[in-house]
Amino acid sequence: MNAFEWANASSVDNAVKLLKPADAKADPDEMPHAVAGGQDLLTTMKAYIVRPPRVVNLKTIQGLDQIKSDGRGGLKIGATATISDIEENAEIKSKFTGLAEAAASIATPQIRHLGTVGGNLCQRPRCWYFRLETVQCKKKGGDTCYAESGQNKYNAIFNTGPSNIVHPSDLAPMLVALGATLTIAGPDGSRTIPVQDFFIRPDQNVRKENILKDGEIVTEIQVPATTAKSTYLKFKERESLDFAMSSVAAVVELAPDKTVRKATLVLGGVASIPWRIAKAEQSLVGKPLSEQNVAQAAALALEGASPLEHNGYKVPLTQALVRRALNHLNA
Amino acid sequence: MAGNSRDPKSGLSRRSVLKGVGVAAVAGETLLSRMAKAADAIPGPDGTSLDQPMSGPVKITLNINGKDQQVTVEPRTTLLSALRDRLEPALTGPKLVCNAGTCGACTMILNGKNVYGCSVLAIDAVGKKITTVEGLGTPDHMSPVQAAFMEKDGMMCGMCTSGFVTSVSAFLKTNPNPTLDELKQGLKGNFCRCGTYPRIFEAALSAAKAQSNVT
Amino acid sequence: MATKTIKVPKMVNGAPTAEVEEIQVEDYGNQSWGPKDKHRLINTKIPRVDAPYKTTGTAQYTHDVRVPGMLHGRLVTSPYAHAKVTSIDTDKAMKIDGVKKILAIIEPGGEIYHEGQPVVAVAATTPEIAEDVARAVVVKYEVLPHVITAEDAMKPGVQPLIPARGRGGGRGGNSQGTAEQVDAALKNCDAVVEVEYRTPILHHCCLETHSCVSDFRGEQSATVYVSTQGTFTIPAEAARELGVPVTGVVQHMGGGFGSKLAGIGIAGQWATRLSKQTNTPVKLVLTRREEFLTSGNGPGSVQKFKAGASKDGVLVALNATQYSMPGIGNGNIAAQPYQYKAQNVYRQAITLATHEDGAVPMRAPGHPQACFAMESLMDELAYKIGMDPVEFRKKNVTDVAWHRQLDTGAKAIGWDKRNLTPGAAKGPLVRGMGCAIGAWGGGGGAGSQVDITIGQDGSVSVAVGSQDIGTGTRTYVRAIVAEELGLEMTDVQEKIGNSMYGNSSGSGGSRTTASLAPALKDAAYNARVALSKIVAPLIGADPDAVWFDNRYIMGNGKAISWKQSCAALPTAGLAARGAFQAPLAGQGAHGASFAEVEVDIETGHVRVTKMCHVQDGGLIMNRLAVESQINGGMIQSIGMALYEGRVMDAELGVMINPAFNDYKLPGAMEIPELIPIIDDGDTRDVVIGIAEPGNIPGCGAIANAVYNACGVRVRETPITPDKILNGLMQMRRVNA
Repeated sequence: MNAFEWANASSVDNAVKLLKPADAKADPDEMPHAVAGGQDLLTTMKAYIVRPPRVVNLKTIQGLDQIKSDGRGGLKIGATATISDIEENAEIKSKFTGLAEAAASIATPQIRHLGTVGGNLCQRPRCWYFRLETVQCKKKGGDTCYAESGQNKYNAIFNTGPSNIVHPSDLAPMLVALGATLTIAGPDGSRTIPVQDFFIRPDQNVRKENILKDGEIVTEIQVPATTAKSTYLKFKERESLDFAMSSVAAVVELAPDKTVRKATLVLGGVASIPWRIAKAEQSLVGKPLSEQNVAQAAALALEGASPLEHNGYKVPLTQALVRRALNHLNA
Repeated sequence: MAGNSRDPKSGLSRRSVLKGVGVAAVAGETLLSRMAKAADAIPGPDGTSLDQPMSGPVKITLNINGKDQQVTVEPRTTLLSALRDRLEPALTGPKLVCNAGTCGACTMILNGKNVYGCSVLAIDAVGKKITTVEGLGTPDHMSPVQAAFMEKDGMMCGMCTSGFVTSVSAFLKTNPNPTLDELKQGLKGNFCRCGTYPRIFEAALSAAKAQSNVT
Repeated sequence: MATKTIKVPKMVNGAPTAEVEEIQVEDYGNQSWGPKDKHRLINTKIPRVDAPYKTTGTAQYTHDVRVPGMLHGRLVTSPYAHAKVTSIDTDKAMKIDGVKKILAIIEPGGEIYHEGQPVVAVAATTPEIAEDVARAVVVKYEVLPHVITAEDAMKPGVQPLIPARGRGGGRGGNSQGTAEQVDAALKNCDAVVEVEYRTPILHHCCLETHSCVSDFRGEQSATVYVSTQGTFTIPAEAARELGVPVTGVVQHMGGGFGSKLAGIGIAGQWATRLSKQTNTPVKLVLTRREEFLTSGNGPGSVQKFKAGASKDGVLVALNATQYSMPGIGNGNIAAQPYQYKAQNVYRQAITLATHEDGAVPMRAPGHPQACFAMESLMDELAYKIGMDPVEFRKKNVTDVAWHRQLDTGAKAIGWDKRNLTPGAAKGPLVRGMGCAIGAWGGGGGAGSQVDITIGQDGSVSVAVGSQDIGTGTRTYVRAIVAEELGLEMTDVQEKIGNSMYGNSSGSGGSRTTASLAPALKDAAYNARVALSKIVAPLIGADPDAVWFDNRYIMGNGKAISWKQSCAALPTAGLAARGAFQAPLAGQGAHGASFAEVEVDIETGHVRVTKMCHVQDGGLIMNRLAVESQINGGMIQSIGMALYEGRVMDAELGVMINPAFNDYKLPGAMEIPELIPIIDDGDTRDVVIGIAEPGNIPGCGAIANAVYNACGVRVRETPITPDKILNGLMQMRRVNA
């Protein structure tokens, strides 16, 4: 990787100051970058996909790694809390089961021990063209999405263009499904937005996957209290270590008569952002999770999918995952 | 390998679409300016000063296998490289295999948890307790895990062995009496090409048993 | 061999007593190992003697070598599959603080034939700076058209465009008829299949990448460390670069699987040249990406078959066209019908060169590819004629070893409980079983020289230059000598992996053990005879009538301890030498694999749940190590069957998965219950190499199990979820 300046930030304010780009017009991949676990950032730096002149360490900010109760049954998760902190947290395991499952599904123990919640949400896509230094694809400022007509087995089936990446995060679909919000700090102060609005599609800005502006960082994720049951189902080609070929984050609140009061379904591994499937959610409200209703929701979930040459299999695969997630929550 | 030609006429592509020459040249230039800047920077004595950008060679102190050791690194030097390429004398138990956090051969224990040494910057390991496979036992005094690897033949070429020994050791601290499936989950981050997994599982389960008999 | 009657003191608790008894012993000399079941150390389970070093991280690999003042080398490689180098500008690179040398590998005007081909080598003071220097070198290219896919490579006029690196035409052989005869025979078959099987280029993925440390300081000799499968290639090849005598060292090595048979390789060549030109030690370690792109690979294959069988289970006719795809290299696919017999065979072997790095030997070169295709074909025919796949195989192989192994394997996997109707189970989890057989040579050869030195203090050291690529050489070096001399494992010290010691062959073709073990036995025998002559007089015995056991030398009713015996040696101790003895080695290994898989027919996920492999190998040196080898073979075949394969972008001419995230090796979660079975029905008392064959039939067995489970016949590896789901969708369309 390129040489860079390293700075241990003492506070969110100072981190934001340290992240101020010397050249505001620099390529987004050559801006100062924040680092927490570094599990994705170092990989992209080693491959020269990002080339920050300065790396600002957020782990030295006291308290940013805490998982706390919000006093109302919800959670406040500091951005530098590790993925294994989430996975092992007793309250998350019991009340936000899907979030603990999503955390446990990520990569390997070694990565989960260092990788953070904030970093997981901000990680870069896994499209193999994007990850090759020598290929100048659209996401890197080039003029072609090579996956579109090339090897696109792992790419998006819900395509918005002009890039066909899928968002690689496992926490993201689950946090969206749980209705979580996150706080962003930057030069202009801080703001809190739904996690769902954090992610942007390539047709909004092909160089980025989220709304963070230069010098901004994620500081906290808030998960509201819920009485609903949640689950995260991830399908990997290789169980030991893999990103999702497809995944489903499901949150379902059942009435005492076992009919669905509210359902939230978000797909991972199929689109450039966590893919909320409102029509499928709606189809379940007021109904029991019968085989037929579940099958109908699964079919609706994939409505509008437009697979590329090599990823049509993701349609039946994802339908199966939706059915299984719902059946699991009904059990 | 399915045919993927997009020019049915010749099947040959003449497009010069790869990123090549120009970018390399730019990289060279920016690098030079940064190197020049590096010489002016005054690094903190232990590399931990807050809010102070550091660059160029930095002298840091790392706590490795219970001992504080000084080593000079660049901010971009990984912990793995610091130990293997810079520390005197070198610690080469953790291996450089993929350099991308995908194989586990460089596994070390950082503050009690197993991590990839290639995916931690040395400068970021200041103030943390680092344990490598060398810190777990020696040829004359092997740890129970190391001895079990020997007894069960949990290695062939040996290139993944230090990482596996380290991961097993860290894992058994958190789960002293695992089932086979729990063990596999705990070892997901370590890969072996010779195919020693079944014997590693045997070794780990046998070490767990031996340790639980002791306590 | 001679039967000897020897008077020995009765031993109690390992010590001689006053009581004398007569024992009958068989002295097998140096031309026979004696019966397999009579050994004290070899053919038992012996823990690896280097385990204390490997498990504590203290075993030194080439990657771990760091010598004072050492520079770090780095390569600049081509981003293009086919191009001409037009210029190399090193101005900026030479201005970087810490740069020591930049050498052109391909001069301007030179041609590039694959992505990742090295173009420039640099040396600098740290690994980071070496990388900076390499990136600052500006290479300009004229991009030329490239050929990547089989379809493109088959087009008329394309092949001559690719100047292959010593390419052969593929092995012809094996035809027992003309295409017309085969066609005629096919007309009379009860079942005919016409199918095509494909396997992608595979990668060795040695965890230790190709690497070299050239410790040359401008003096009259040098030490060169290389991760190579041939220690003795180092002095020859490195000296050519350095111009001085070279000692080659391969203390430990992190896997080879055939990829490190090419001497000192690219890393060695450029580390030595950089060090020659700087008069400074240089370390060059290929990056993982470079290892994928420029250290060789296993060839891909396209195999087209027309085959027919009679309903009583005879393979009647086979027309096979086997395309090997070795990039710019040379790599054949083993000739069909592989280990089976067919009445009419017509075979064509064609090499299809592409602009990809060249194939090199890879664990059982050409066999797993041939076996996957042939065993899938046999399976398709068996189902078509409605015969038990095991029975069908037995009818078409003559060697009884495979009959025995098929029976053993079928029992171990529970073949009688297998699913009888592929695709019939409702799911979503359906199970199935499959089998396959494989063959390998594994013979030994002359050329090894083993030197044993016994010291006055009783120390025994065995020196031979051979490398241990991970199979466990050190352990059997000790075991053979300790057994012959009546000693224990800890009494013998081995010295290997250094060209200062006696010659030995490269580790290829599973030949190391079959070549080395006989020489070890010979050396140990010679040491025993020489020592007998010195020690026998001390106990008043005839040198021909002494016996070595329990750390004693016994005869004439007396026993003298090993230590006391050695004290009688001259100051220099005793030296004995051994060489290859042909009667101690054999060849011809047979194996059979069985797999049970579980297919999730809703997600396409395939999980191997149980697998066994039965392997013969004559006299086994170390049962623990051989079982590990068999396990390793099965696991690599799981990789080939389900996960592994080079993926190319044909338009860009680049490999798009040159990393462990994307070229997927099996990990802990992918490991099923594995049953390694050493075939003790093999009565040959000779050493046969078995490093490779465990890897051969597993892939075919798994592919057949997948079909048996879900009814989808995947004819292209790896058998990934997308192929299963696509197959199931197609089946439903056909059935609908």
